[in-house]
Amino acid sequence: MRYVLQKIVFYIVAFWAALTLNFVLPRLMPGNPVDIMLSKLAQRGPVTPETRQAIELLLGTDSQQPILDQYVQYMGQVLTGNLGISVTFFPAPVSQVISQTLPWTIGLIGISTVISFLLGVGLGQLAGWKRGSWLDNVIPVTTMFQSVPYFWLALILVFLLGSVWQIFPINGGYDVWETSPGWNAGFIGSVIYHGTLPALTIVLSSIGGWMLGMRNMMVSTLSEDYIVTAEAKGLRPRRIMTTYAARNAVLPSVAGFAISLGFVVAGSIVTEAVFSYPGIGSALLQAVGSNDYALMQGIFLVITLSVLGANLLVDLLYSLIDPRTRARA
Amino acid sequence: MSLKSPRRRRTVGVVGSLAAAALLLSACSSSPESGEAGESTITVFNGSTGTITENFNPFSSTALQPTNGVVFESLYWYNAAQDEDPVPVLATAFEWNEEGTELTITTREGVTWSDGEDFTAEDVAFTFNLVAETPELNTTGLSAVAEATDENTVVLTFEEQSFMQEPSVLGNRGIVPEHIWKDVADPITEVNSSPVGTGPYTVESFSPQSYLLTKNENYWEEGKPAIDQVRYISLENADSASAALLAGDIDWMSSFLPGLEQLLADNEQLSYVNTPALTTSIFTCSNPELGCEGPQTDAAVRQALYYGIDREQLNNLAGGGFASPASPTMILPERDARWIGDSANSEVPSGAEVDQAEQILEDAGWTEGSDGIREKDGERLSLTIQTVSGWSDYISLNDAMTQQLAEIGVELNPVQLSWNEWNNNQTLGQFQLSLDSIGLQPSNNPYFTYNRWYASTQTVPVGESASAGNAARYSNPIVDEAVLTAGATSDEAVQAEQYAIIQGEIVRDMPYIPIYVNSMLTEFSTENAVGWPSNDDPYALAAAWKSWDNGVILKTITPAE
Repeated sequence: MRYVLQKIVFYIVAFWAALTLNFVLPRLMPGNPVDIMLSKLAQRGPVTPETRQAIELLLGTDSQQPILDQYVQYMGQVLTGNLGISVTFFPAPVSQVISQTLPWTIGLIGISTVISFLLGVGLGQLAGWKRGSWLDNVIPVTTMFQSVPYFWLALILVFLLGSVWQIFPINGGYDVWETSPGWNAGFIGSVIYHGTLPALTIVLSSIGGWMLGMRNMMVSTLSEDYIVTAEAKGLRPRRIMTTYAARNAVLPSVAGFAISLGFVVAGSIVTEAVFSYPGIGSALLQAVGSNDYALMQGIFLVITLSVLGANLLVDLLYSLIDPRTRARA
Repeated sequence: MSLKSPRRRRTVGVVGSLAAAALLLSACSSSPESGEAGESTITVFNGSTGTITENFNPFSSTALQPTNGVVFESLYWYNAAQDEDPVPVLATAFEWNEEGTELTITTREGVTWSDGEDFTAEDVAFTFNLVAETPELNTTGLSAVAEATDENTVVLTFEEQSFMQEPSVLGNRGIVPEHIWKDVADPITEVNSSPVGTGPYTVESFSPQSYLLTKNENYWEEGKPAIDQVRYISLENADSASAALLAGDIDWMSSFLPGLEQLLADNEQLSYVNTPALTTSIFTCSNPELGCEGPQTDAAVRQALYYGIDREQLNNLAGGGFASPASPTMILPERDARWIGDSANSEVPSGAEVDQAEQILEDAGWTEGSDGIREKDGERLSLTIQTVSGWSDYISLNDAMTQQLAEIGVELNPVQLSWNEWNNNQTLGQFQLSLDSIGLQPSNNPYFTYNRWYASTQTVPVGESASAGNAARYSNPIVDEAVLTAGATSDEAVQAEQYAIIQGEIVRDMPYIPIYVNSMLTEFSTENAVGWPSNDDPYALAAAWKSWDNGVILKTITPAE
């Protein structure tokens, strides 16, 4: 229990530090929301000099307020769960924007990260177990996919599977023409159909690392004495592979998985840009483009929470699957 | 490459089982027009990216673009594509009193709101009073009291002479129904989910990825609109938009597409219209008295830049050949021809006039230095020009101008910045040269251009924010007086005289150096609808992002046979 408590205190301090950074970073950017909104309006139509005053009043941006007061106010808001009003999507609250976009990102990137991990670790385990089989030859191919820049791989697949052969749709989260969001078969099917191609690109580009890492750990684990002992005891090969070898070999991969889970939110920007996917990454891009402090802070908060949360989860999980981490050296 | 295919369609409810495989199969099958026989739908990409947030509040600065013009209508429509009188929409006549303090508007009869209630002068009066009383919504500086004197007449009484409020009052304000908006608790943050307007379309459904407008059955103009439904979608960038256009998923979008001519040749159903309206210009921080620094504060240097660039080459290299000539008076040479006082100022030179540029620099004391770059009193004629990274045509412009200007001994250093930083530098005056554009004002009257970009009232010293205004920090009492005089009359002859004075000053001082009137390309698909604006008949500004003109186009087009 002491171990768990220590961890939790550490995470609270890390969370506070991250919140403070979230507050400071957006304010170091040039420009302010009012000027940016005005200039954007001016690109779309007439803006009269009086517009500025109206926008200032509208957004309630009081830049004269001391930064310390803003900080205290921000911390108070975060703790009460009020993330403020988005400037880009005025008058929508930040929490609404996040709740509209986050499920898409978690659904697409989260699930494909999990698929990629399970598939990679599973295949890597087999490849390590049966060294020299055809699976060994798959590894260089998958690592090649990983080494190709992600956006390029995605664009090529969009071009081939979306444009030339038209197997998959090229953009969007679902068929906006024929379905409406809700728990109906048409919509869910459309979401799966639209998500397949982006998910495929993510799996293709990340599976190689999992496979390679798992295979090599398997190989070194298989030469341990306890494996020989297990074989000598006459255990079934399948049991040796899963319970004796794989359970030990997977430990480094699990740590890596925690980190990649944490980056699900942050790493979604490129995927969402290529596929016009309606997730949180594109909302972040828009927020940055409009100096939307509140929305940026809100999304950074989500990223922070997901990274810390994933790490905490794995820390705790680790103490379950690897008892050695619990003991104090 | 076969990119021509009917839009992938799927009927809702056809799929009985939840099995993913079955869903996938059904998703692939295309059954155009099934289940909606006779319904015509077009899809518009108006530049919105990412998640769309619901906002159909016509007063809001962040309202969704079709709110103004498609769902709500203004009293008049000002056509930015042509030189023509304001077109009556919800009003049929207007008249100023002599002093310019009272505007009498006659509203249209026989108009009903989309909920069936009658539209009256009371609604108009209510709308303007609401704006005038709510500073957060008053983006046009309206200070007037509106009163409906009878069923069809509204009188706006201004605090001061306000001739120049005319286009923003008549052409840039969506009229809302009093019977609904009088109960709206907070008109500032209202998102108006199911708007009741007079426009040709009403909102059918909304989701953060797309929204659908449907024909207003009560629309006052007989037989219009002809298209049943209009869908707006969000896409990440111009690349995905052009792919969607080719795939037949989009009927209307505005974007510069590389290789447009070839695309059109390969795809018969596509057409385009080019409506140049914005003058791409080099903004200069021109006024040393307000804190500008650098060689560009010398008018001779700005003149030399004006003559030193080869615009024909720039158009070919950066403008795709679609740009049209600008005027040094900063208004459009064709549309605004009647406002150009001296026909010598009608158009910019098309080729580089190297001799003249060099002569100007010599006369001003800029002599050639050892490295080929001119200098004066030890100061090298080296200028930094900023643009936004990713604006590929502007980047090409900078690169080409760097080479062209080296010929006359001027060194140009292009820098690319993030949009925010570029914009920040420009509004604060912390730049030497900056690429931006001028144009598209409430009406085609040059007053708005001259007042906004050239009047001292619109500028502040360097370091303070001159957003959406006179970024060049230009200040000239002659121009200021002429702007004031022109704004105080509705007599166009007097105005033209004053504009001629302004033009004489700014053509000499050149705080903004015109390059060309940039192309504004809009692409259409004629697969679902016909009657789009064309290069022969640009009856409205076709850009898919332009608010009021959108309504006019949507009620003009008809379903394809």
